[in-house]
Amino acid sequence: MVIVKRKTLSLAERLYLPEVVRGLSITFRKLFQPKITRQYPEDPLPTTSVTRGQPRLVVKDDGNIACVSCGLCEAACPAYAITIDGHETDRSIEREPEEFQIDMLRCILCGFCEEACPKDAIFMSNELELADTTRSALVYDLERLKRPAAALAERMDYIKRINKRWQTSSST
Amino acid sequence: MSETVTITLNGREVEADPKKPLIAACHEHGEAVPHYCYHPGLTPVGSCRICQVQVKQGEAPPRTVAACRTPVAAGMVVDTEAAPAHEARRQCLEFLLKNHPLDCPICDKAGECTLQDYAFQEGQGKGRSVEPRRKLPKRKDLGEVILLDNERCILCSRCVRFMEEVPKTPQLCIAGRGSHSTVETWNDQPLTGNYQGNLADVCPVGALTLRKFRFQARVWNLLKVASTCPGCSRGCAVTVEVLRHGALKRVRPRHEPAVNGWWMCDQGRFGFEDANRPDRLAGGALRSQSGGWEAVPTDAALETTRDMFAVHGEARIVASPFVTVEEGRELAALAKTIGCRPVFVSPPPNEWADDLLHTGDPAPNRRGLSELGFEALPPDEILARVGEVEVVLLVGERVADLIGREAVAALPEALRVILMDEALVDSPAVDVAIGVPNYIERTGTWINVDGHAGRLNPARPAPPQTWTLVRSLDYLHTLLHTEPQGARR
Repeated sequence: MVIVKRKTLSLAERLYLPEVVRGLSITFRKLFQPKITRQYPEDPLPTTSVTRGQPRLVVKDDGNIACVSCGLCEAACPAYAITIDGHETDRSIEREPEEFQIDMLRCILCGFCEEACPKDAIFMSNELELADTTRSALVYDLERLKRPAAALAERMDYIKRINKRWQTSSST
Repeated sequence: MSETVTITLNGREVEADPKKPLIAACHEHGEAVPHYCYHPGLTPVGSCRICQVQVKQGEAPPRTVAACRTPVAAGMVVDTEAAPAHEARRQCLEFLLKNHPLDCPICDKAGECTLQDYAFQEGQGKGRSVEPRRKLPKRKDLGEVILLDNERCILCSRCVRFMEEVPKTPQLCIAGRGSHSTVETWNDQPLTGNYQGNLADVCPVGALTLRKFRFQARVWNLLKVASTCPGCSRGCAVTVEVLRHGALKRVRPRHEPAVNGWWMCDQGRFGFEDANRPDRLAGGALRSQSGGWEAVPTDAALETTRDMFAVHGEARIVASPFVTVEEGRELAALAKTIGCRPVFVSPPPNEWADDLLHTGDPAPNRRGLSELGFEALPPDEILARVGEVEVVLLVGERVADLIGREAVAALPEALRVILMDEALVDSPAVDVAIGVPNYIERTGTWINVDGHAGRLNPARPAPPQTWTLVRSLDYLHTLLHTEPQGARR
């Protein structure tokens, strides 16, 4: 058992008023200093490339989705949030996702999907807000997850940079 | 049992068959020697060289040899994990991967590809080649069943040998020399025959893919359950593969030496659409006075059935040939109580019979039901016979399909028809309908044409509220032994 020792108060503290004046002086000093409060959500916090927000899918500059629905993010996902169904395309990249669902209620924003992706197709965006009125609306489908490559460029560069740090030589 | 000789395998003294290659002895005794071109059902050719092991015979220094082309000999000292053997395998892999495209994320074989497995196992993570990879056609049409990706092919020639040795219809060859070699058919003709699907199974990489399974699912997402093929009375041992407890996506043969070896026919492999039919009946349904259907629990539907049996006159039981032995026993007991001889639908033989696997008889449990005393009757004979009675119980998956859905719908309205099938036949002729699980949703046994028992195992749950047929029949039988609600005749 811990016995907390009571501090013996000095005379000035016991008089009470000097302490009130000292406290109010801090309050009034802060009134004239620059404000650090932000008017969220009108004024959101800035994000950086390190921000690990919700996962989003890359749409390449030619308009095609970068994902080939290989299912590695689905396999890597520790929360079983991802479900993918693929189908055949006419392009040289023979497959693309027909349905790509991320259950955002399950997603724990760990970034394993981004790490598992062999095609640089899924990245953790800087989108953080997640609210809706129904559970089904929070299961994001393919159209809701697509983002142009430019919107994710900053994160892509960052991931490529840190991957390069771990890479020792090119693999076959 | 043929003569065996003693060899030393990784320090153990083991018995091995000298008629078989060394790799078979290694696998038999639990040593995982990698292999691409070797297949236990085909002649070994030793083209891939990945199965190299170290062998010491007599006084000679140890050598690395291809285990698939080395016959077992007495006194061999085999080391599958020797450093020179591993190095030889790693070098082989480096060459095999030299021209192999890096499209594992797209390739359907990924996850069950031995090239992936051994590259990982042998630590062949990088290649030294700076030459560009071979560019070859990626979508080569080989007929209705198979699509060939020439880039992925490692030229193991398993497919060529399969076509020559199993269906004995050689259609594939390896054409060209050196790095221009490709698997081809003569004059780009499409493949024919009923055994093409096995090519995708024997292919150790993703070069030969099934058109019907292409990009349907990632293989690690499939639940694989041992089952029996319902296609014919051969009852090949198969593995049914179900995606996310839902659709049946693929059926593959399972090794069963007494029945089908390693193979199965395309009729069985691709004949599973019925298992994914969307119009499944869940629970029971009663024909209401207004003409529609009223969904009721299975026990309520069975109580109505009992009342029909009790109130009305002569009854018949018509089973589907898909009824298992266990369900057949319940049915035979029920028929005894009702006082009739059970019959099963014996559909006419189809044109797929061959001397390899397909028997041409689309009744998978013909032998099992015949041994239980069921009478085999063709559909038209059954229709003629049920016209003579007042109540008929049509029971088992696909029973309406086999008799003919139109024929069932056109049964006289005076006849009380109880249909225990996967789907409803929407007709005034049917009075009670009760859903049953299909062959990938229940356990059971089918007896094949040679008397071999094939097991069914559930790969996914039956539709909600649907009882197993054994449970339904048992409940109905119990009800028949208790006093009915209506007046007994």
